[in-house]
Amino acid sequence: MIDKGDVGGDGGVGVDGGADFAAVLERVRAECLRLISQYPDSRSALLPILHEFQNELGWVSPEAMAACAEMLGLPMSIVESTASFYTLFFKRPVGKYMLQPCRGVACIVSGAESAMAHFRERLGVQHMQTTADGVFSYEEVECLAACDRPPCMQVNLEFVYDLTPEKIDAMVDAMRAGTYDVPPRPQTAKPGRDWEVASESGRKALGARGVSNPNAPGGIGDASGLRMLERLERDPEPVRVRPTRERLVVDGAAVESELTSR
Amino acid sequence: MQLEKVLTAGIGALNLRDIDVYRAQGGYAQLERAIKEFEPSQLIDIVSKSGLRGRGGAGFPTGRKWQFLPNDGRTRYMVCNCDEAEPGTFKDHMLLEETPHQVIEGILMGTYAIGSNHAFMYIRGEFLRGYHIFRAALEQARAAGLIGKNLFGTDYSVELTIHRGAGAYICGEETALLNSLEGKRGEPRLKPPFPAINGLYGEPTVVNNVETLGYLPHILRRGAEWFASVGTPKSTGYKIVSVSGHVQKPGNYEIPLGMPIRTLIDDVAGGLRPGRKFMAIQPGGGSSACLFEEHLDLGYDYEALAGAGTMLGSGAAVVFDDTTDFVRAAHSLVRFFAHESCGQCTPCREGGHWLELTLERMLHGHGIESDVDMLVKVSHQMTGLNLCPLGDSIEPFLASVVGRFPDQFYAYVRPKQAPVAV
Repeated sequence: MIDKGDVGGDGGVGVDGGADFAAVLERVRAECLRLISQYPDSRSALLPILHEFQNELGWVSPEAMAACAEMLGLPMSIVESTASFYTLFFKRPVGKYMLQPCRGVACIVSGAESAMAHFRERLGVQHMQTTADGVFSYEEVECLAACDRPPCMQVNLEFVYDLTPEKIDAMVDAMRAGTYDVPPRPQTAKPGRDWEVASESGRKALGARGVSNPNAPGGIGDASGLRMLERLERDPEPVRVRPTRERLVVDGAAVESELTSR
Repeated sequence: MQLEKVLTAGIGALNLRDIDVYRAQGGYAQLERAIKEFEPSQLIDIVSKSGLRGRGGAGFPTGRKWQFLPNDGRTRYMVCNCDEAEPGTFKDHMLLEETPHQVIEGILMGTYAIGSNHAFMYIRGEFLRGYHIFRAALEQARAAGLIGKNLFGTDYSVELTIHRGAGAYICGEETALLNSLEGKRGEPRLKPPFPAINGLYGEPTVVNNVETLGYLPHILRRGAEWFASVGTPKSTGYKIVSVSGHVQKPGNYEIPLGMPIRTLIDDVAGGLRPGRKFMAIQPGGGSSACLFEEHLDLGYDYEALAGAGTMLGSGAAVVFDDTTDFVRAAHSLVRFFAHESCGQCTPCREGGHWLELTLERMLHGHGIESDVDMLVKVSHQMTGLNLCPLGDSIEPFLASVVGRFPDQFYAYVRPKQAPVAV
């Protein structure tokens, strides 16, 4: 369950209140009923209905998922589980411009890495982050099926081809000025910095990938395992495990006394 | 080089999104002929005789796939798979946006041939523009009486429903696609039962690729013999190849199957840039093994590529020249499969992630010498243990480039790293 409280990491959250959501629901209801009617089984309309809500709200809010569950007669857990599977459904508010450069293999061998580095530097964001002003969200995505004009990207799902640093600068400037020809996404709630803590950025926080300090625990350069191995080589006697929380057994002997003595 | 265009005819010259323009080119005439003059079983025979094979990746004979449907009176469904996301492939994207009516005609003809009255078009979520174009085309077709009740005055009725995905490569796998279409997580199902027996809503279902269905009107118009006469005896007809990477003219090219790979690169796609040297070609999308210099005279067809230990797949040819860093290319592909793993099967979910971290560690300069061997071993151990082929998709590319360019990989791990001081 998404906790609405931590949506806006740095301040107030203007989440659509009850009254606003009722209006949204009123706007999409007819289309949702049409969508349901075109399938032999109503559950098939789950993805199309989530798309409808996201078109209105800019993200799939907990209210939207609850409304969807009610319309289709499904448990909320099913709706959340399904929505969480698909990367195009945003379970947290995101920026007005969703910038999604392609990191597919054809783009990577044609200069996508420098284009992505330029984006990160220019906007001050990492993969799966939103700028502090809430205008841009940035995600490096998998092959977009436009490999003949690399590096390519999508802006709010509209294609942009043949990226260069100049093109990126012009694009970002035009979006800030409000003159870019792709319309901004609806934004009904203030986005936080990270919109997807559970998956990739979560792993990043654990130090597994792309961490600035590789020596941090769990980081790429964390050598604690290696040091244990070296100690074992020096002294093949079993390592005395120092328990920290609960009773441990080493070599068949309880070491509870050791725990209590410390 | 002049190539005969079949599916791609008129693209770039005509506005084929307009139903009137499409009809002026003979569009929908074959659908009318099929429904008025042919029994469904006759159409299946024609398609079987033409030798048409699935253009989505597996290359399974289309006619035989249709014959698997049981004759037990249950409702049947036709599903068109436009969830194109195989790295390097961009042909369905083009067909969807440029010739939506041709796609509709193919879907309806296939739907009639398998004795179904309800077809679904599953469009990749990222193809928003294509979705709107296809939707507009569908409305035009509906207004023209090509979808709905009693087509062309016969008692055949058909409905076509568009379903938009939401960003999941795995939904291109047919059983995952069916789950997604049923409003579930896009996780592949255990096979058997195959979709022909137990597919959408548990009913007999055929899932065909956009390009496969697109060829149907042309096969009916020009005859199964015409299609079978093109290409090689077992790989008949034409195929749209998406050529990308280090060639001068990347793009979609419709070629007769069996064309030498050298011709495809040098004559069709404009060759490599001046002064560059050919290193490798990945002939069938991200899941296929690379071919090298010595393979360039092989024909681009299902058998020749399979014989060389790779596959034709979806027809995505990514060409690499001597500026390629294969460690970065491998990292991109491994990251792709790790990201797109649905997570049901442990070898695929954990193995892909592990390989991605290993490559990332190498790129950060923390690789150790045994990592190179481990990449190949782990990717091999992942294969054959999963519900669907995604977990088997990392090994071919990784093993082929590590085998061919080991120096590139060892360059990232030498000199041997001392433990990082804490």
